[in-house]
Parts: sequence; structure tokens; C-alpha cells
Amino acid sequence: MRKRLLDAWLIVLLAIAVLLCSSALAAPDAATGFRKTVEPILTEYCSTCHNSNLKKGGVAFDADDASALLADKDLWLKVFKMLRAEMMPPRGKPRPSAEQVEHVVNWIKYSAFAIDPQNPDPGRVTLRRLNRTEYRNTIRDLMGVDFNVTAEFPADDTGHGFDTIGEVLNLSPLLLEKYIAAAKAIVAQALPKQPWNKAGSVPGDPQERRRYASKVLEAFASRAYRRPVDQETVERLVHLVETTAARPGRTFEAGMAQAMTVILASPRFLFREEQTLPNSTDRYPLLDEYSLASRLSYFLWSTMPDEELFGLAAQNKLRQNFSAQVSRMLADKRSSEFIRNFAGQWLQARNVESANVNPFAVLSKEQPRDPKAEQARTRFRELARKPQEALTEAEKKELEQLRNNFFRGFRRFRQFQLTGELRRAMRQETEMSFEYVVRNDHSLLELLDANYTFLNERLAKYYDIEGVSGEQMRKVTLPPGSPRGGILTQATFLITTSNPDRTSPVKRGLFILDNILGTPPPPPPPDLPPLEQAAEAVKGKPPTLREMLAVHRNKALCNSCHNRMDPLGLAFENFNALGRWRDKELDQPIEAGGQLLTGESFKDVRELKKILTTSRRLDFYRCTTEKMLIYALGRALGPSDMHLVDELVAKLDAAGGRPSVLIRGILESSAFQRRRPSNGQAQRSASARHFSPSPALQVN
Amino acid sequence: MSMKLPRGALNRRAFLRGTGACIALPLFESLRTSVFFAAGPAAKLACTATGAPLRTAFLYFPNGAIPSAWWPSREGTDFPWSRTLKPLEKHKAYVQILGGLGHKNAEPGPDGAGDHARGNGTFLTGVRLRKSATDVRAGISIDQVLANAYGHLTRFASLELGCDSGARSGACDSGYACAYQFNLSWSSPTMPKTPESNPRRVFERLFGEGKPGERQANLLRRQQEDKSVLDFVLDDARSMQKRLSPSDKHKLDQYLTGIREVEARIQKTERFGLVKDPGIETPPGIPADFGEHIQLLLDMLVLAFQTDSTRLATVLLAHDGSNRSFDQIGISEGHHDLTHHQNRKEWIDKVADIDLWYVQQLAKFLDKLNQVKDVDGQTLLHNSMIVYGSGNADGNRHTHTNLPIVLAGGGGGALRTGRYVKYSDQPMTNLFLSMAHVLGVRDLQRFGDSTGPLKDIG
Repeated sequence: MRKRLLDAWLIVLLAIAVLLCSSALAAPDAATGFRKTVEPILTEYCSTCHNSNLKKGGVAFDADDASALLADKDLWLKVFKMLRAEMMPPRGKPRPSAEQVEHVVNWIKYSAFAIDPQNPDPGRVTLRRLNRTEYRNTIRDLMGVDFNVTAEFPADDTGHGFDTIGEVLNLSPLLLEKYIAAAKAIVAQALPKQPWNKAGSVPGDPQERRRYASKVLEAFASRAYRRPVDQETVERLVHLVETTAARPGRTFEAGMAQAMTVILASPRFLFREEQTLPNSTDRYPLLDEYSLASRLSYFLWSTMPDEELFGLAAQNKLRQNFSAQVSRMLADKRSSEFIRNFAGQWLQARNVESANVNPFAVLSKEQPRDPKAEQARTRFRELARKPQEALTEAEKKELEQLRNNFFRGFRRFRQFQLTGELRRAMRQETEMSFEYVVRNDHSLLELLDANYTFLNERLAKYYDIEGVSGEQMRKVTLPPGSPRGGILTQATFLITTSNPDRTSPVKRGLFILDNILGTPPPPPPPDLPPLEQAAEAVKGKPPTLREMLAVHRNKALCNSCHNRMDPLGLAFENFNALGRWRDKELDQPIEAGGQLLTGESFKDVRELKKILTTSRRLDFYRCTTEKMLIYALGRALGPSDMHLVDELVAKLDAAGGRPSVLIRGILESSAFQRRRPSNGQAQRSASARHFSPSPALQVN
Repeated sequence: MSMKLPRGALNRRAFLRGTGACIALPLFESLRTSVFFAAGPAAKLACTATGAPLRTAFLYFPNGAIPSAWWPSREGTDFPWSRTLKPLEKHKAYVQILGGLGHKNAEPGPDGAGDHARGNGTFLTGVRLRKSATDVRAGISIDQVLANAYGHLTRFASLELGCDSGARSGACDSGYACAYQFNLSWSSPTMPKTPESNPRRVFERLFGEGKPGERQANLLRRQQEDKSVLDFVLDDARSMQKRLSPSDKHKLDQYLTGIREVEARIQKTERFGLVKDPGIETPPGIPADFGEHIQLLLDMLVLAFQTDSTRLATVLLAHDGSNRSFDQIGISEGHHDLTHHQNRKEWIDKVADIDLWYVQQLAKFLDKLNQVKDVDGQTLLHNSMIVYGSGNADGNRHTHTNLPIVLAGGGGGALRTGRYVKYSDQPMTNLFLSMAHVLGVRDLQRFGDSTGPLKDIG
């Protein structure tokens, strides 16, 4: 084995030597460094399981083809994440020292991923179409028109949970049709406000009028395209005004309207084209200031840059005033768009508005069984199954009555009905929690554990919290001993992770792994064994969810992932599928205690929150950092981003979790400020291609 | 939300009365169907033997079907109707139940979990989807292959409809992009065709905006304005194209494709003339009740077929993995949750009820097609091929062989209807090949993982 590996290394070295001659593709010391200092650590702590015989988790560090092993960025990204989250080696097995872990991690970053910390690759951002929210806001700022995008445009596709990802924001022919129709509708609505539509403002002389149109349209197109527009385009626009106006029955005003319409239908408006500084000799040139202004405004405001940003970009002074501008933008009320869109998607607060949880089903399960009602329901379904024309008159009447009774049964639970008003309050509770932390620059950990939350009367009643009256959402200090506080005890999380009729500890656990700890389990394997034994194994009574999941976890195939998800999810069993507190499930007291894979035990949700904010806080910082980066950059993260993530997490922790440090860190990063060169130099783009993360390497 | 009374009910009823009136009219004055009759035997694309248009639709229902309730107990022409398919009995003369078809590429293979994304995304493409949340790659779908072959014959090459209109935040199935689950139709491996969910918008696209009688003029004016928009934005797109990297060019290509489609539609209006105004009120938006929503969208499809505005459509009734509950038939649990029934009889029963409910929706659609007379004196149902199916077979086990598939419609007399036939493990794509051949697209020799046309559907 050892001999074979050595031979393999020789080949690797040779291969690397060849590669080095042709281009600077990999760090020269990757293989040497690996053999000297990394491999011994892996052999000592990892290879007992991760060898080519056992190949646990599909990972082996003694592969025949060592060059393939070294080049397998996918694998090293997994290793990196496992080490950072302290998930490997597993509890109870000997662990490498902190220095050894750091050594391996550094080798991965700077050798296997070949990251150059002095000159990091900013990654490839695909040309981004405005999403629905950005379109609406941009139109509002540009035209003063409130356009209902939700009704007019199809929902945007999301990637990694966000609708800001260039790669997945497609433009279908249907949407293009809608963009053209929208442009016309918006211009028609904005007409009365246009200066040229007021009597006496348009010169009568044709020459003068031409100059006037040219001036107005140049200014408008430059704002719409978010950078100064070229003279040739202005001439085309003026030409369009004149030809339209020359048609029978048409006027100069109609021509101006048509010119505005084409601007709003242009790809230069609908897509955010970015340019880099001209004549830059940097390998990864800086964005020009107009592009930077757009990145800033779409990240922090979800809309186009305002006059001030434009003005600074025009004088090339945005970078000089960068920090002051960021402060201004965060203080501006438009930054609530960042709060709403980022938190709304990251914490899935938006989803509570449409979550399909059925109060009747949830609550009737918590009531004593009612055989009569069940009988009636069975009969209802029996009749509903029959074709309408096959029903006798008597049956029709019976069906009508049963249906009415069935819906009447709902009314018993009317106060828990998830009305639009209540759902909105729930969504706002989560958004306001995030907003409070960001605006006051409190520790992000308050998102997980806090002695306050945001309620109005309706939501407070729903939570059984007294002393809140009125519709206004406001900060409320929680009574001592309240289990609430922190986003994980809010209705948004508790409801969106539930099934229509019951809680799903698995989904809740998965949500936390995905969105709080940033350690998603691999997807379930094919050929899942059926759960029915689980129900049968608990004799003599209907099993609780905890009991069923315990049986499930006993299976080797399931336990490696369910050991990660279930304890987290079960900690919230005191909250039913509606997010309301309960002490019992099926008349048995709820046990919420458990142990995390990383070893920490807890007896209830309060203790779990303490663990998340202390010993697991770096996981949370890392996860938050990655999510915000994805949202801000509009792309997936890959291996070449791991240096940046590490750096941001370290800064964030040193600053006690203050969000301003993270936001500014992202804004100042090379990933945000620079671009891979987009055209020209073939050699440059060839090497850039080498560094592009393959799809398999994406985070999550 | 499910406790509300179906709010759209009244509107829809009023609207349907209108449709009824329309159906009673002599229909094809405006359709230039003479083109087809005149063209005689040479014009074989998407035509029946009599020269009438031959329409094709693909309807997708989610999460498979309980096999024991779906499949009849024996094959042949005189099979007993199964519990789930019973509502189709009255249309037996126009129904084939096809067993033994499957999608190998929807099986996990090396890709692990994600059977809902795969079932949905493979259904009309027959290819293995790239497992990625951002780097989307499927294949062109069969409806778009057909649209490329004969879409030029109608005002709309194809229509894409679907009932899911909500936001898609959060992750979709197991690392797959949401696009795979929320689209049936793909014009290229990277370009899903977004379905329209609003019946009102479908109607306005087909017939123009405004009141009855004003629509033709509105449509004409709109197209004229569009033309000058297209000229300008094309120039903008071309200048932009020069500055972009290859991957960004690809995004702009999507824009250009859309422009070409709008252009083609304008040219078609010039060629075919305007479609006749059906003379009914524009339908309301999206009804609150799911059943009403489906039926209203399908009403629009009937109108589109009837006026020969298109001969191709896809309808995503609900995306695979859908967890909708069905209070209207006494089922408050989520559909997807129920399909993982752990062999509990009660859950199996409920899923079978939901399967039945979806088949009832199909039956209503066939009723409507059966009520409309076509140019050749036959019914629209006679002159259609309607595929109804799901990309999962057994939702509990996530299998993709022996998919639940119904082929309804007479294919203009070309199909062998009124029977249940079970093939031995054939790719679903073989059915698509056969259909393409019936439609006159004879040069299509392979599609997806096809191995050859199904021998005897016709």
C-alpha cells in the first residue's frame, strides 16, 4: 500500500512539473506539502475509516490515483467543512490538535485550492437579470410608479435559497413578453408626471425640440441603464421619437413615451451589465464605479443607485467615500429591503405567508378521539369519491350536510386560523428581530437567543403572552421563564418546517443544519427502508413521533444523518405545527432533551439555545457569513471563497458578532469589488476557467 | 386558507355560461382551416386524416398514484375499470391506459435523493438532469421538439400552463434547482418555459385585452407598438453582446430568443389574420379553489385548441412533491406526506382519493373537448392526443417504472383506443416517438433515452 502510494506521488510530482511549465495552474508545493505534513495527520486520525477498503462516506485518503485525490476539490471542500464544524473525527475517536487541524485546513486553502490571499479570485458572477423585487423597486425609483410584479410576472427561480443568483434567473420568452407589456403600462402610468407632458415645456422649433428630446432621453437612459449612455444610443432614441411622432395622429409626446418604453424593455435595463476599470493590469481588475454603485445599491437596497451614488461614480469618487456611503445607505430606510429580502429568504420568513398548515388537522389531533366525527368524515369522503351524476338525491343532500359539518368543525379552531393578518405579523416578527440586531449592531447571536421579541396583540395572544394591545408590532420583553426568544422559537420557523397536520422534527432539524449551523447532511440515500416497522415496534399504543424516529435511527443506513437532524428537531416538540406551546403529545409528556453530534447535551430548547450561542457560535457565524455572501454576490460559493469566509468569520467573532463587521467585510472584499476579466486576453480567461468551481463543488 | 368558500365559483359559472355560448357558434370561420383542407395529403404535420388540426397536450399530476387503485386487473379492451380511473369510463372510446412505461433517467442512479425533481424534470425531456442548485441542465422537452417542427402553423407554437404560482424560496428537492420541479417544458437544456398560471393572462395573450369586440383592435395596436420596440432593443442587445463573456452571452441569448418569438407572432398575425374574438367576458384571475383554478385554465386550453391558436400544450397541475391538502374532499393532510404512507391503509386510501380527484379533473377536461365540434364534424376530443401522467409511479417508494399514464383522445382516428395495454418495461420516450410519428414528425428517430416507437398505439 505504502509503496504504491509513493509511486503515485512520483507521478503526481511529474504531472505537476509538466503543468507548471505550461501555466501556473496549481500551487507548486501542493503535493510536497501534502506528503510531508498533511498526509501523516490524515493517516493518524482519519484513515482508520477513510481508507480504500472501508471508504466510509465514500471518502478514502489512500486512493490509487493520488493525483486525482489531490485534484479532487470537491473532496477537500468536504474535509474543510467537516473540520471547521468539528464533525470529524467523530466523538469518542482520537482528535488532532487545534494546530494540526489548522495545518490541514491551510494546506487545503492555499495548496489544494491554490488560493492566493494577496490576489484572491473574485469568482464568476453571471450576468444578472433584475428579479421581481428589484424590478419593482427600480421602477418605483426611476418612474415613480408602483408596479405589481407579483401579479404580473412569474415567480423567480431561486438557487441556494435566494432569488439573486444570476445563473438561475432565466428570462423565458413569456417573461420577455411581460416585460414589454409592463414597459408600456408603466410609461402610460408615468406620463402625467413627465416634464415634457406639461404645456409650454417643449420648444416649438423642430431643431430646439430635437435638442430637448436628446437631453431628456440621454438623462433618462443613463439612469435606467445605470451608467452614462453613449451618443449613438441617444441618436437612435431621438430618431424613434421623430418617426413615431411623424405617424398619422401621433404627437411628439407619443414619441417620447415610445422612447421611454423601449428603454425599459432593453436588455441594458433588465440586466445588470458590469464593467471593470479600463486599462487595468490586475489579474482581477476592479469594477468601474458605476458597476460598484449598482452592486452596492442592489445588495443593500434591492434597487438602482440614487443620485448621490451616481454623482460619486461620475466623479470617480465612490471608492474614496466608500465607508461613509455604506453608513449612509445602511441608515437609509431603503435598507429595510435588504432586511426583508435577505432575512425573508435566509430564515424563510416569507414562506409563512403561504405555508400549508391546517389548524383543524393539527388541533383535532390534540383533542381526545371522536369516533363519531371520524365516522362522519369517512362517509363524507366516500360520497365525495362518487361521480356527481351517480349520487341519489338523498345522497346529494347527505353530502352537502356532511360537507357543511366538516367545515363547521373548522370553526371551533377559528382563533388559531392562520389569517393573512396573523401570518403577516409572524413574518414581521422575524424580520424585525433581524432588523433590530442589524440596526443596533447587536451580536448576531441575539437572533438565536434573546429575552425579547416583536409582537402585536394578535400574535401575543397566539403565543399566550399577556399585556400587548393594538395592531402595532413592537418590541416586547418576554416574561421570565418564557421559552420564546430567538428566531427558532418564532412561528415562522416552527410553521414553515411543519407538515400540514403535524410537526416534522426532521424538517426542523434539517432547517437548523442548513440555515443556522451550515452543516447540511447529505441527501437521503435511494431505497429508503419503509417506516412502517417503526410504528409496529411500539406495541400497545400509537407511537409518539420521538418513539418512531428512535426506531428509525436504529438503522445504520439512517442514523448517520438522523443523529444530526433528529435531536435538533425534537428539541422543539413542545411547539406544535402551529408554533403554539404544548406540554404533551398524545397524552404523554414531551421530552425535548438530546445530544448533538458534536457532544453537547441539553434538556430543553432553552439549553439548546445556550449551546448554539456558545460552543457552536462559530458554526452560526460561518453559516450566516456564507448565506449573506451568496445573497450579496449573486452566485454560489466555491473552494476559492473559503479563505474569505474564514477571514470574515474570524473578524465577526473578534467583534462579538456585530453585523456591521460582516456587512462591511463583504463590501470591502475582493469578491465584491472585483471581477474576472470578461473579454479580451484569451490566456487570462483560460486560467480563470481553471479556477472556476465546478458545479459539484458548490456549498450546500 | 382552505376554509374559505370557493370565491371564484360564481364568476366561473358566469364565465362558463359564456363559453357555452361560444361553443354553440359556428367556430371556424376565422381559422383559415381551408389552408389545411386545400393543402391536401401533402400537409401532414399535426393534421388528422381529414385535414383537421391534431392537438396534443401533456398534463402532469404530482407524486405518482397508488398502483393497486390505479391499474385495472386485466389487459385488453374489456378490462374492468379501476377505482382511480373510473371517472374516465364514459370516455372509454377515447382512452388508452398505458402500463409498463418508465423513465430510467428519473431513477437515483449516481445522483441519490431528489426523485420529485427528477420525476418532474425528466417527464417530458427523458434525460438525466444535472444535480445542481444553480447549474441547470435538462434537455429539450418533446412538446418543444414538436413545436420546432410545426409551431409555425399556429399563432402560438405552444402554450405552457400550470397552477403553481407561489414563491419558491427555500430549497427545492435535495440539491436540485427549483426549475426542474416547476417547469414541464424546456426549449433547450438550459431554458425552461415558465408556465402561466393566471387564466386571465392566458385569455388576453390569446385574444387581446379589453371588452368583447375591442380585442382585435387592441391586439393589432399592441403588435404595431411592439414592432418598433423590437427594432430598438435588438440593437441594444447586439451592442451588449459584443461586451459579454461567453457565459453571459448565454443569458442574453435567452433575451434574443424571446424577441424572436414575439417577432414571429407578429408575422403570423400578418399571415393568418387575427383570431376571432370569442365574444365572452375575459375570465377572472386565479380562483381561490384549486379545482376551479384547474378547470378555468383548462377552459382556456379548450379555447386555444378550438380556435387553432396552438396545437401543443403542457399543463403542470401541480409540481411533483406538492404537499397540498384537499379539504374539499375531507383530506387535511398534505398530499406528499400522505404518499409516504408506511403501508397504513388509511393513508393509502387518502392518497387514492387524491389520485381520483385529479383524474376527475381530467375527466372534466375530456368532457369539454368532447362537447366541441371540430372543422371536420368530429369532436376536439377525437382530434386530440392528451397524455395524462406523473413522473413518479409509486410515490411511497419513489419508483419510476410502470408510470401511471393515460393517453386520451382519438388522435384523429389514428389511435387504438378503449383498452388497457401493458408494455414490458419500455422507455416513456418511446411513446413520445410514436406520437411524433402520428403527428407527421417522421424524421424524429430518437428522443431522450428512446429505443424505438411503441409498436401499436395506433
